[in-house]
This record gives sequence, structure tokens and C-alpha cells, in this order.
Amino acid sequence: MAMTLATRKRLVTALLVGPSAAWLSIFLVLPFIAILVFSVGERAPEGGYQAAFTFAQFMNLPARATAFWNTMLLAPVGAILCLLVAYPTAYYLAIRAPTRFRMLLVSLVVVPFWTSLLVRTYAWIFILGARGLPNLLALIGLPDVRLLNTPGAVLLGIVYGYLPLMIMPIYVSLEKLDRRLLEASADLGASPVRSFFNITLPLSLPGVATGVALVTILLLGEYLIPQLLGGGKVFFIGNALVDLFLQSRNWPYGSAIAVTLVSVVVLIITLAMRLAWRFAGTRQVDLV
Amino acid sequence: MRAFVTAVYLFLYAPIALVVLLSFNAGRNASDFTGFSVEWYGKALSNTFLIQALQNSLMVAFISAGLAAIYGTMAAMGLERLGKRGRMLFDGLLAAAIVVPGVVIGIATLVALVQLFALLNPIVTALWPSDNPPQFGFGYGSIIAAHGLFSMALVTMIVRARIATLGRDIVEASADLYATPFNTFRLVVLPQILPAILSGFLLAFTFSFDDFIIAFFVAGSKTTLPIYIFASIRRGVTPEINAIATLVLTASLLLILLSRFLMRDRPRPAPSE
Amino acid sequence: MSKSYKDNLPISVSALTDEFMRLKRGSVTRRHFLGVTGLGLAASVMSRGLPGAFNAEAFAGDLGTQMSLATWPNYHDPATFENFTKATGVAVEVNVFGSNEEMLAKLQAGGTGWDLFVPTNYTISTYSKLKLIDPLDMSKLPAFSSASESQRFTHEGTVDGVTYALPKNWGTTGMSINTSKVKTPISSWKQYFEVAMTEADGRAMVHDYQLTTIGSALVSLGYSFNSIKSEELAKAEELLIKLKPHLYGINSDYQPAMRSTDAWMTMCWTNDGAQLARDMPEIIYVLGKDGGEIWTDFYAIPKSAANKPAAYALLNYLMTPENAVKEHIANGAPTTDSRVLALLPVDITGNKIVYPDEAALTPLEFGAAVTLTDPNRAELMARFKAA
Repeated sequence: MAMTLATRKRLVTALLVGPSAAWLSIFLVLPFIAILVFSVGERAPEGGYQAAFTFAQFMNLPARATAFWNTMLLAPVGAILCLLVAYPTAYYLAIRAPTRFRMLLVSLVVVPFWTSLLVRTYAWIFILGARGLPNLLALIGLPDVRLLNTPGAVLLGIVYGYLPLMIMPIYVSLEKLDRRLLEASADLGASPVRSFFNITLPLSLPGVATGVALVTILLLGEYLIPQLLGGGKVFFIGNALVDLFLQSRNWPYGSAIAVTLVSVVVLIITLAMRLAWRFAGTRQVDLV
Repeated sequence: MRAFVTAVYLFLYAPIALVVLLSFNAGRNASDFTGFSVEWYGKALSNTFLIQALQNSLMVAFISAGLAAIYGTMAAMGLERLGKRGRMLFDGLLAAAIVVPGVVIGIATLVALVQLFALLNPIVTALWPSDNPPQFGFGYGSIIAAHGLFSMALVTMIVRARIATLGRDIVEASADLYATPFNTFRLVVLPQILPAILSGFLLAFTFSFDDFIIAFFVAGSKTTLPIYIFASIRRGVTPEINAIATLVLTASLLLILLSRFLMRDRPRPAPSE
Repeated sequence: MSKSYKDNLPISVSALTDEFMRLKRGSVTRRHFLGVTGLGLAASVMSRGLPGAFNAEAFAGDLGTQMSLATWPNYHDPATFENFTKATGVAVEVNVFGSNEEMLAKLQAGGTGWDLFVPTNYTISTYSKLKLIDPLDMSKLPAFSSASESQRFTHEGTVDGVTYALPKNWGTTGMSINTSKVKTPISSWKQYFEVAMTEADGRAMVHDYQLTTIGSALVSLGYSFNSIKSEELAKAEELLIKLKPHLYGINSDYQPAMRSTDAWMTMCWTNDGAQLARDMPEIIYVLGKDGGEIWTDFYAIPKSAANKPAAYALLNYLMTPENAVKEHIANGAPTTDSRVLALLPVDITGNKIVYPDEAALTPLEFGAAVTLTDPNRAELMARFKAA
């Protein structure tokens, strides 16, 4: 063969990476270029896009400030509420649950994730609607309680929808925990509470960080839960985006918001990674 | 602690139980239970649009997850051989594919493809030898591509993490014994990374099957199950949707049980301590 | 129950009344009701004998097996499509939308897959200008009779002498109020917005649609429903932003919330108002004395329709008076076709929600094309929702 080993190696590499590189270029890079171009355009008279070069769309961003702040507030709050419910559950599953039932219980956490999030969220419309819980509350003398279409309902939907996603990484990090550390700690006279705070909690932090980051990032682009449980009143930036494309047909403005949202997400992740690296660096020293 | 965990499971399952219960409702309105009936299961199974949506979802999920598993694994292996710059660029794009919100992916893909189709279709028409040239448009292809983007990045990450734990020595030993690179892959590497590929495939399948927002923008005239359910919620849900949700739930329960059963029969690999 | 039923129905008045009460209580389905009372049977028998009526054989073979209709929530008798499928083998997929803007947005983005859709009067000129809909081939629609249509409601289906759309029904945009919850009498949009922020705090709804939501806010301030003047729009925005924290929801599909009494009052279209009042007598339907909207919904065929033969077949089926009458009984909107009016039972033609007195209609305005497409109104609504 005339082909040198190096050429051949390069060819194989290209064949291996080629398809995914093409995929990323056409369906990630190209769309992003498209919204960048659109974001400096103008809305056509009947809606849609018309070519222009203006930063008017970006100047108009403050008109969606409330939706942005709602998202920036409710996403982390939702993630932390999720964490508060998820941590004890994951702890129980990884450490306390009887071994015989452990896999079954873990599977049961995963199963809801397999059911349509839409259907599960819809169930809450019944439960929170006037014929559900408020009806029962009326029986005990609390008439006309309104639960649906409130920020509380949206937060509940968020915790419900994303709980499995929070439990799993924490469970995995707790399960890997070396039990001998706990035994040693107990042997040395540490109380269970102290062992928890000195050993279990720090060692499970990577799982906690993964879960919180995952849920927060997903929430930044959330559309369905506010749409179904917020009644069009509790607005996330995702809802504002969909509105701009499917109602007011302002593609350039929508593109500008999309570009901004992506920038914010990337910024948050970069910061989080920096923090995580710094943190992981110091922890590793402790462990070795 | 047990009480708390019990409450969490109740919280997780009460709404699902309600969905299942209402699927047996005799009445038309999903919010009033008027009597027991399996009539809605018959209705759901004979509703061509619901079944079509379910088939579309299964097909899109299967193909996008399948392609993602193949190309993602290939990428994970090829990345090792890439130069430092290429790898960093690739890493960045993979991370972006995972973290960019679905709503942005959907919108950006819509915007880009509208332009791309407007550019390509006249060319195809001009070059096509006979009448009725094929035209690009939104449909299965665009949903599979948009879902596959996230899925492929996911599989690449998972498989790569697995490859990183494999010792180079085992591959080198195989090469020393005159195995061809392909045989080394087939007999040594693949068995080791197969569980990672499979779990990537499953995650990708689940993601695609449940995704609403991306498909909402790029599905064109095709309806996936989440799109159908969303439309039904606006139309006022009949217990038909509850019936189909119950069927999907039952199927996934059976899948989980099956996988547990299969895992049990296989000898477990020695713990890596 | 009116006595005039007696001559038309193969069932006694008392039995009919009895069945009707059962229907109202919800223990029988509407289909069962129509079946037992013979209304459905009578209509379907008549349609076979009438000239121009739908004829399955004529279309068989080239209609395909399915088609898609884009329409509004609670807008059709489900039995209509079941019967159409039985007659032709074509299954009809029904998709519902919350606003004309949403339909326009979908059609502009392309690839909707709709074969037939239901746009409102003021949109037709825009759709034809953007070349999103086809002129209708009237030879395929023998059941339509332009002579029996009321020009007042149907003239906007024709643009520059070309017919693009056929009328479905007309209607008004008023307010539905649950009188067991809201005691203040309301007869104007001004009062509606006041009560929404006081007695019905947290219980009032507005549409997820700029045309009606901004339009009604403008009317309550004494301006035109169709205003696009920036200073008037600014006043309307101020009112809406002030209202927002007091709302139950912003949603064009308000029937579920009204039925569950989560919401106590809502902006409401005639057909929904009639349906709510029929099932829950405590919910009344009121037109604003200070103004509001009057409209006509049409059927049109998108240029991108995949199955136009089926679209024409369904459109012709729906234009047949004997089929249209069932639609009108079910959805409660007033007809534009005098042939249908003649077939409707007196309790419907005498229903003041469906056929209000002319005096009540006088302050109302038809929506204008520019009201829908004005970018400032679109942005105002989006701002209001995101506020």
C-alpha cells in the first residue's frame, strides 16, 4: 500500500469523528449562526424576519427583564427545593435502605422519569384545580383557596418533574462512599451527626453539585411547567421565547433573547466549573 | 427518615396513580370519576392519530438514539486520536449541545432550516430531471437530527468516561499478540464499553421519547406523542390520554423488570477494588 | 321546551324534555341525545335526499385516509367528524389553537400539515396577501349557497372578487360571569376590569390573544377596539399591567377553569358562553355596553395542504345545512346561513346569547386586518405576558 501509516491513522480518525463533526456543524453551529444573524435583523411587516443590521433587538431586551429575573430566581430556588427533598431520599436509598429492596426502590425513582412529563404535570392540574385539593380544603372550612396558576404551583411542578434527576447523581455519589470511613469515624468516637457532616456530606458534594447544576440548567430553558401550571401568568424566559416565535412573530427579537439566554447559560456554567475545579483541587489533596 | 422517604414516594406516585385511575373512568370528562370502564383503552387503541403519534415517537426515539449510539461511540474513540486543538473545539461543541436549552435548540434549528430549505429546494428543482422533484421540509428527518444532536453528545460523554477507565495496557497487549486494530476493538474494547453505550442509548431514547419543546418547533406536520398530548390538554383531555399514558407506564415498568431479570442471570464482574 | 318541536320529532315532548334534562345533567352523551330524539337520524336521512348534499360515492377513492383540521377549542360536535369518517373513510385530526396570531405564525413558519383551518374575518386579506391560502374552487363546493348567506358577516371571505374562505359562523366577544360567585352586576368592559381587580381578585381571565385582550382594555378606556394609536395603546398597557397580578390566568381555553370554578369570570366568545350557560345556568354571558367585538369565523384551505381533495370534501360536508345544523346545536354559535337558521330549534334561535338583539350589537366593532398584524399590539401583548 502506498498509504503511509500516519495518513492511514489520520483517515481512520477522520472517519471516526467525521459524522459527529458534521452533525454538530449542521445542527448546532449553523443554527447558532442563523440566530446570531437574525438577532441583528428586523421584524417583517406581517411578522417573521427581514434582513437588516441593527442592535435594536438587543436594546429592547429590558422589556423582558421580568421574565429573565423570574427565571434566574425560580430556577435556582426550584433546584434547591429539589435538593432538599432529594438528599434525604438518596441518603436513605444508598445507606439505610435494606439491601434486598435497594435496587427496587432505586428503580421506582427512575420509573416516573419514563412516564410523560406532560401527563405527570397534567395530573397536577387536577390535583391543584378547584375540584381537587381546594375542594377538600373547603370541607374543613377553607373555602375558595386558589392553588393553580400560582408561583407555588409552578415550583411544585418543578420539584415533582425534576426530583428523579436530582436523586440519581446524589445516590450514585453516596453509594460509592467507602463504608469503612464511617466505621473508622465511629470507632474514633465521632457521633453519627458529626460523621455525617465531616465525611458523608463532603464526599457526596460532587453528586449534589451535578444534580443542582443539571436541574438549574434545564430549568433555565423550561417552558412546559410554567405554561401548564402557571396559566400564562408565571412566565419563564422560555415562555417569552416561544411567544415571540409563535404569537407575535418577532423572529429577530426572539433570536436576540435566545442568544442572550445561551450566553447567560454558558457564563453560569463556566463560573460553576471554575468553582468546582478549585473545590475539587483542594478536596483531592485531603483524600490522598 | 423512613416516614420522609415514604412521603417522597407517595408524592412521586400519587399523581401517577391518579392518571391510571382516571384512565378507567367511564365519563368523558377526565376530571370527574363517574364509573369504572376500560372503554378508553379501546378508544385509544383505535384512535389512528394517537397510534400514529405513538409510532412516530417510538420511531424517532429509536433512530435518533441508535444513530447517536453509533456516531457518539465513534466520536468517543476518535477524540483520543485528535490533536489538542481539535479536541478542545470538539469538547466545547459537545458541551454546548448538552447545555443549550431545548427551547433554543428548537427555535434555532427552525430558523436555520427554514433558510437552508429555501436555498436548497430551488436548486434541487432546477437539477431534477423530471417533474415533481423531492423537496426538503420539516418532518421525521428534522426531529431525528435535532434530538440526535443532544443524544450524540450524551453518548460521547458517557462512552468517553468509560474508555478513560480502561487501561491502555490491555489494548497494547492485544496489539502485541498480533490482533488487528479492528479485532482489538471487537474482542477487547467493545465488550468493556458496551454497558456505557447501552446506557447512553437508553438515556437518549428516553430523552427523545419525552421531548416536547424541540419537536414542537421542528416537527412540521408530523405529530409525536408529547405534541399530541399537549394538543389534547388544550382540547380538554379525555381519559383516552390517561389510557395511553398508563400503557406507556406499564411498558416501561416491564422493561425495567426485564432488564433487572437479565442482569441477575449474568455473572457479575468482580468489584474493582 | 318549545311546542314547535312536536311536529319535527319522532318522540313526545315530555320524553324529549326528559332526555334533555338528562343531557344537561351529563348522564347521557350528546350523541345519545341526538340519537334518541331522532334529531341526528332526521338530519342524516334528509341529507341523503337533498340535492347538493354530501355524496360519499362521488368522492370515494381519491380522498386518502386522513386529514388535519386546525380550529378553536370546543368548536365542533365530535360526532360531525365521526360521521364524516364513516361516510368517507377519512379520519379527521383536530388541532386547536388559542389565537389567529398563532395560526398565522405556524403557517408562516411552514410545514403545518393542515388541510383545512378556521381563520377569523380580519385575517383573510393578510393570508391571501402572503399567499398562504388558496382561492376556493367553488365547483367542488356545491353545498354552499351564497344566496342564503348574510353579506354583513360573510363579505370578508372574498378578496378582490376571489373567494378564499367560506363562513362557519359569526359571533361576539363578551364576558362570561359566574353569578354565584360574583355579585356585582356587570354590563360593560369598564366594570369587568374593575371587578377583576376587586371582588373577583385572582379569579378573572383574559384571552391569550392580543386582539381581544388589548381590544377589550381599549374599549373599557373609551377607545376603539381596533385602535393602533400609540398613546391609546400605552393607556391600555398601563391598565393591563395593573390588572395582571389580579388575574387567574391568561388563556384562550377558559372553559375548563370556568367549569371547575377556579375562574369566576372570563372574556368569552359566543359559542363558549352558550355552552357554559347551557351546562351551568349560573354562568351568564354579557356583551359590553361600551363596545367589544363582533366576528365571523371562516373555513379556508392552506396552500400547503397535503390532502386538498379531503379538505374540499369536509368543507362541502360542513356547508351542507343538515350537517351544519348539528354543529350549531353543539357549539352554540350563530349561523350566517338562512338555510341553517330555518332548521335550528326555536330554543336556540330564541337564545339571546346566540342571537342577541340588534341593539346589543350596535356598539360592537368588527376586528380590522391591521389590528391583527400591528407590531406594536403584538409586542404590547408579549410584554404584558412577560411582565
